[in-house]
Amino acid sequence: MTTLNRRALLGAGLGAAALPFLPRAAYAAGSVTGAVYPGGWDEALRAVLTPALKQAHNVDASYEPLFAVDQIAKARASRGVAPFDVFVLDPGPRVQGIDLNLYEPFDASKLSNRAKLPSGYADQYGAGVAAQVVGIAYNPKKLPKPAGWRDLFKPEYASRLGLTGFGTTFGTVSLIEMAKVFGGSETDVEPLFTELRKILPQVAAVAQPAAMPGLFQQGQIDVMYTNTYTVSLLKSRGVDIEFALPETGGVAFGTTMHIAKGAKNMEQAYQYIDTMISTGVQSGLAQAPFFFVPVNTEVTPGPDVPMRSIADLSKFVTHDWAKINPLRARWIDRFNREMAK
Amino acid sequence: MPRLLAPSDRPLALLILALALLALLILIGPVIVVLVTSFTTSQALRFPPPGLTLRWYEALFDPARSAQIHKAAGNSLLVAVTVAAFSTGLATAASLGIVRARARWARAAEGVFMAPLVLPGIAYGLATLMFFSWLRLPPSFWLLVAGHAMIATPFALRTVGASAAGLDTTLLDASASLGASPWRTFRRVVLPLIMPGVAAGAFLAFISSLDNVPVSLFLGSAENDMLPIRMWGMMESSLDVRVAAASGVLVAVAFLLLVVMDRTVGLVRRMAG
Amino acid sequence: MDERGAWRLALPLAVAQILFFLAPLLILAATSFATDENLVAFSHQAWADVVADGFNLRATWNTLRLGGLTVIATVVLAVPLALLHLAAGPGLKKVILLAAVLPLLTSVVVRTFSWIAILGREGVINNVLVGTGITAGPVPLLQTEHGLILALTQIEMPLMLLPLIASMGRIDPALLDASAALGASLFRTLRKVVLPMALPGLLAGATLVFASAATAFISQSVIGGGRLAYLPYLVWQQAMVVFNWPLAAALALTLMVSVIIVVLALSALGRKIADA
Repeated sequence: MTTLNRRALLGAGLGAAALPFLPRAAYAAGSVTGAVYPGGWDEALRAVLTPALKQAHNVDASYEPLFAVDQIAKARASRGVAPFDVFVLDPGPRVQGIDLNLYEPFDASKLSNRAKLPSGYADQYGAGVAAQVVGIAYNPKKLPKPAGWRDLFKPEYASRLGLTGFGTTFGTVSLIEMAKVFGGSETDVEPLFTELRKILPQVAAVAQPAAMPGLFQQGQIDVMYTNTYTVSLLKSRGVDIEFALPETGGVAFGTTMHIAKGAKNMEQAYQYIDTMISTGVQSGLAQAPFFFVPVNTEVTPGPDVPMRSIADLSKFVTHDWAKINPLRARWIDRFNREMAK
Repeated sequence: MPRLLAPSDRPLALLILALALLALLILIGPVIVVLVTSFTTSQALRFPPPGLTLRWYEALFDPARSAQIHKAAGNSLLVAVTVAAFSTGLATAASLGIVRARARWARAAEGVFMAPLVLPGIAYGLATLMFFSWLRLPPSFWLLVAGHAMIATPFALRTVGASAAGLDTTLLDASASLGASPWRTFRRVVLPLIMPGVAAGAFLAFISSLDNVPVSLFLGSAENDMLPIRMWGMMESSLDVRVAAASGVLVAVAFLLLVVMDRTVGLVRRMAG
Repeated sequence: MDERGAWRLALPLAVAQILFFLAPLLILAATSFATDENLVAFSHQAWADVVADGFNLRATWNTLRLGGLTVIATVVLAVPLALLHLAAGPGLKKVILLAAVLPLLTSVVVRTFSWIAILGREGVINNVLVGTGITAGPVPLLQTEHGLILALTQIEMPLMLLPLIASMGRIDPALLDASAALGASLFRTLRKVVLPMALPGLLAGATLVFASAATAFISQSVIGGGRLAYLPYLVWQQAMVVFNWPLAAALALTLMVSVIIVVLALSALGRKIADA
């Protein structure tokens, strides 16, 4: 128990000294910290989930904006001391978190809204809260609507294209889909790199995932791959942007929430997830300007959502993350190298 | 520069003048771009703005809509003030020690104390994360203060050190020989003399912490959300114009503080020193 | 406060630095030799990856080159501005000093955004270039090395300008007048009188600018983009996205050591000039 002693000693000293400075919410009986994707999700949850949670359970929510992979990294770095109470993850990082034992066992019977979820949407790890659809975003004033992934490699699109790597789920699945068009597969993205090499000199920008919306809005790029949330957010900001489903099918995946191992606010974490899937919040999130894909069976998707109901998920392209995860670190590295001048 | 230039010197003088003006443009231009952008009527960060309005400042100060920014600003201010206090205290004591000691160690120590100034911040930020993670310490206010203070202290050390170097040591000996305790000598004789340097040092440490990215990037958390990290997120992923408004406020406040500090302790001259 | 006891005053800072500066760096070094973040088993795999890999070495070179080019750009602009400051009256002096400090007061995040607006395809510079017909179409500036250097020049210039102004301030104006009165050309006066006095400030500024530009993570990734490989981004990516801590630590140390070598070389150069 040496680590415990060390932690107890240092932690007690530093922790006690920090008490007067902690924000007051940390004392209040009801507070919870949820990780949230930066951008559209961040804004939507603050606008819809926060007031609903306050009203229903008198719980204050605070958010830590992090992409799914960054959430896993933060949780690993903090070694059992949960950096936040609730994860919100895509399938790939979700599987990784299960392998790394980062979640508390999830008791779905604690969710009062469980019956409103399709079967299989709550398990011993967590609960599904939304779905994401990934496809092509383009500026309709500058470019005609692209038919599919192959179009991005034509000169008129390539010269306006913004590329981002395997660091995020939307980046990974888009690049896999492009690889498939050129003869690759879920586990073989080599054909993609061959094609990328050909268009690379003309490509408008290669950037970090979080930088893509800014580059699009500033006119640096006019076409990119992204999820519908980013498109909705940019549209609401007055940016000329439209979403196009590729001819080979849009990519869709579920988004799940999980309670972090050692979460400080266990009860509130359940309330947070329960409120997230409640009919009120799900229908609020499904409306303009957020256009979330609802998982609650009582809610119909908004007009801008390329999915009529969550049952449509089966009509979209999905991926096997147990196969992709082991390859991803190498792909990230490979992408760095291929892009470097 | 000599007042009168020979005709043959004129091309060189003009070149110098042109480059100097270009330098001024490069220094000031981007700040103006941000300030102008903060008044835009458009929904997203964009320059040049289609029209001018104050509504982003209204949105920024609205306690309901901008609670998150206010919290991050509060956190950052609290950390920066605490860092300034610690850094200035440590730097003042160390400077006086170095000035009093004529030994060789003093010069060497000064070099070591200044080292954080030139070490890559991202390497140090990662090191703090690995270190505190190894100790099983969760992210907290005090860890952020410790990390920021290490980077901020050299700034304070430089200005306090310059002031302390100008101290007349016979004055201190006189005070001591008159029976004053070291603490009393410090309070009554030393501190008033080096006060301008201390104040300038505190200001620089404060600014250094307020704008710190590499340490906050690794040690920040939802509870201790830091302003630059929050602004970066808002700027990148949602192009929120409030970021420009927030920088407008930051520039105005810092500028005001700068003018006040310059009037009272000659800050700008000290930063140059 | 006798001389022998003076060291005690430096003790608190020394202890703080050992606890919160040296110790983390030691853990960083230890992690670079570990097999994973748990620091249980050790190997030199991460270092083998860094050294044997041309990509990492090229990123190291790019990073140092970026620091060096930024130093050159800031010298080219800051020296004339410091000379103008030397020649200026009190009013203009104040303006120059305030302009020098102004970027320091603007958040680094915001400075980076404003450079996107300036360098972008539809940004300020391209609007001017295309609008005045100097170029037929927009020229690429964002996501290029020269665009990044331009942005870093603004961001880092105060670090060059302030020490430069300080060391030039020690020049005796009578010396300049004497030099001119003796018929020396402006160039000769600058070279023989001003430059030697300005050198310590120039070297101090070069050190600070180099170290800061080489580690300017946000500017490098946002303005430089994904096609320019620099060490700070690779460090962050390995640490937080790939979660390969040993490699992240080894890359961070590579960055640190290469920056320190350049900084030491600069200070050795400074001593040599001072002795000469």
